[in-house]
Amino acid sequence: MFDFTVAGHVIPVFLLVLTGFTVGVVGGFIGVGGGYMVTPALIVFGFPGYMASGTDACHIAGKAVISSIRHRQLGNIDWTIALGMVGGTMLGVEMGVRLLNYTKEIGLSGVVLLAASVAVMLGLFIYTQIETQASHKKLDADRAAGKEIGREVKVSKLPLYFQRIPIMPIIKAKKARLVISMWVIVIVGMITGVLAGFLGVGGGFIRVPAMVYVIGTTSHLAVGTDLVEIVVSGGYGALRQSMSGNVDFMAVFFMILGAMIGAQFGSLATSFVRGPAIRYILSYSLILATVGAAMRLLYVVTGGTAEWLAFVAVVFTLGEMVFLCLFIVTLVWFAVRYQHGKSVPDWVPAMVVPAT
Amino acid sequence: MKWFINNMIGYWIFLLAISLGLSAICYEVFLKQMMK
Repeated sequence: MFDFTVAGHVIPVFLLVLTGFTVGVVGGFIGVGGGYMVTPALIVFGFPGYMASGTDACHIAGKAVISSIRHRQLGNIDWTIALGMVGGTMLGVEMGVRLLNYTKEIGLSGVVLLAASVAVMLGLFIYTQIETQASHKKLDADRAAGKEIGREVKVSKLPLYFQRIPIMPIIKAKKARLVISMWVIVIVGMITGVLAGFLGVGGGFIRVPAMVYVIGTTSHLAVGTDLVEIVVSGGYGALRQSMSGNVDFMAVFFMILGAMIGAQFGSLATSFVRGPAIRYILSYSLILATVGAAMRLLYVVTGGTAEWLAFVAVVFTLGEMVFLCLFIVTLVWFAVRYQHGKSVPDWVPAMVVPAT
Repeated sequence: MKWFINNMIGYWIFLLAISLGLSAICYEVFLKQMMK
């Protein structure tokens, strides 16, 4: 096996390439950096915590560039929303990090962080799952009635309230085809940034639902636009982590090697599916990450004595990446089969775009 | 087996079982000694 050593640990290279590939597929498809999956995975592979975080930040930045280029070609980026959110996000991240440091000072950070992760991810999962299932039912009903169906189907009325807020400046997001107060975009960026800074993640899994359910973009546009955000925030994170000596560039190289193919595949995969499919996979990602975080929380709270909990947390961390990647790859395979008139499972036609 | 493919929840369970199984094998074979 071709291995190399990181901080005294021998790391199997193929695992890094595989991780880069699977998280590249998932990140390109649902618009997340994947830090909440990759950092724990790198720790499992033997990276020290600080090095896992730093190496992951560099890999995320590189992978986001690859995915963004693809999504730009697919027309999935609204630059007005992206640039508006970046400012709010950077400010929010700084506030979130200060909040985290405060909880560290009062000795609560470990448990509070994990509990907050569980609460946020669980809440997002419940809302996304309920709304997506309602959209799926509407899709099935419209198909049965023979109506023409677009790429995006949403039942949530929440964006309409936020789009009616009359605080100037009101901007027109051309690609997203909506008119909204710039302050809504900036404040959404700030709130998601605070959560991201506090939880120590990129925040894609918070920003994508926020863009869909608060600002009112389509799922495809939210994915592409969020990846632009990640290029900026991830790039800054990568720079800071490199300056602090927290990055193993050989590991980044091998992960990007896998991500070069995975990120492009994941981005292109969005053109085969409808919006609810993207939101389903995002919600599955959230619930699996919640279970993994809950296991880690239980392990910490029980004083690190229950070894089976550590095993389950590790298996869930790795299994989540594999599951999501497999789901996306098989969904694309089903979509291609459906477009060629071949048989597919009953739930597939509502989720994929027919041949044009 | 048909239920696991034709039903979305069933397909979810089917893929999750495969993924967790593969991860457990990967952990036992490659990673367990690293965590000791």
